[in-house]
Amino acid sequence: MVTKSDTKPVQIEIFPRRFLKPATAQRLLDEIYRSGGILRITIQGPNLPKTVPYGPGKGIPIEENMNMLLELGDQALELRVKVGRIWLELESEDRIEGVKAVCERMLPFPFSIKKKQIFRTKPTVSDYAKYGSEVEDKRILGLVDPKAMKERDLAILSDTGGDS
Amino acid sequence: MAYKPQYYSGTTSVGVNRRKHMSGDLEKLRDISDADIVTIMGHRAPGSDYPSTHPPLAEMGEPDCPIRQLVEPTPGAAAGDRIRYSQFTDSMYNAPSIPYFRSYWGAINCRGCDPGTLSGRQIIEARERDIEQYTKVQMDSEMTDPALATMRGCTVHGHSLRLDEDGMMFDMLSRTELGSDGNVYYVKDQVGIPLDAKVNAGKPMSEAETSKRTTIFRCDNISFGGPCTAEKRTLDEGLITLHHMWERRSKWGFRPE
Repeated sequence: MVTKSDTKPVQIEIFPRRFLKPATAQRLLDEIYRSGGILRITIQGPNLPKTVPYGPGKGIPIEENMNMLLELGDQALELRVKVGRIWLELESEDRIEGVKAVCERMLPFPFSIKKKQIFRTKPTVSDYAKYGSEVEDKRILGLVDPKAMKERDLAILSDTGGDS
Repeated sequence: MAYKPQYYSGTTSVGVNRRKHMSGDLEKLRDISDADIVTIMGHRAPGSDYPSTHPPLAEMGEPDCPIRQLVEPTPGAAAGDRIRYSQFTDSMYNAPSIPYFRSYWGAINCRGCDPGTLSGRQIIEARERDIEQYTKVQMDSEMTDPALATMRGCTVHGHSLRLDEDGMMFDMLSRTELGSDGNVYYVKDQVGIPLDAKVNAGKPMSEAETSKRTTIFRCDNISFGGPCTAEKRTLDEGLITLHHMWERRSKWGFRPE
């Protein structure tokens, strides 16, 4: 959701003392989203692999990490991390108190909220490799995954080799 | 007067617990069956024969060696078992045994084992039937809180991470789960292969109990020298001893010729 506003946006980090279960994260994010004034949301935490990555069990599916969805507004996204930090960009500083009130209501353990610069303002090397020197929409800075794998992340829709 | 080892200095509960772990004078809190331990370790099926790497020592005809005559082989070595391991991850949130103290326990109390200490995990290798016995002692005793210490052969991440909502240590392979009856169950073996039946590892300790039983110094529990914010800190004797050892080691190691 992108909201146009005259006020200066602020960025905050919600840092709960415990990792959040998907259901708790869903409820918390729902409430935060409903309180309005959100420009961007990022969820950060340790990776939850879909298969055992190392050892004799390598490749065995991890059922507990499958099919975890977060639904926000009319968007659904797959949860691939354990929710440890929530980074928000709010349209103005006035919104912080509302977020704090939601966290107090939804989280059964202590948390901290810090205001800081979280999202990137300059392109990374990966951004430069993908988009070149000019990036119009600054919101996508830092979102390029340099470890993306062709086999996993690229869907080839046609094998005709293009128009040429 | 017979010599009595002192193991560790310090007057705090952490010092006392460290001495307990090193001496092997541990309180037994639960009884997990041998078959369940073998199942979680995942090296062989419970009840199956021990595979061997060499014939039993009695059949091999050992060379005439004074050391071999002096040292009695462990049951695993005598039978020619394979070397196998068990590895634990202990949370820094007041887990009872932090990695070094599992190693001290192993090195002092377990014959024929090779303990290895890493930043957030601790492995002990030994002959198969020996390591099974050593692992049982660890899992049955106060060295292990099933919520804060998990047997993890690989993908061990969790020691320094925040706990889950239910007080369990983070595990990206979800090897353990907190049951509705309040017990912690292993649903996978130590390398993440699902088990046919869940294994009950016992009830987690309360926060008060882990604070009492832990061997880790923390500012929010027992710190090295009183509160971090205090104007003057009185260091625990354990830390003074550590400084002393560090200083001597550094000075002796530094020999400009």
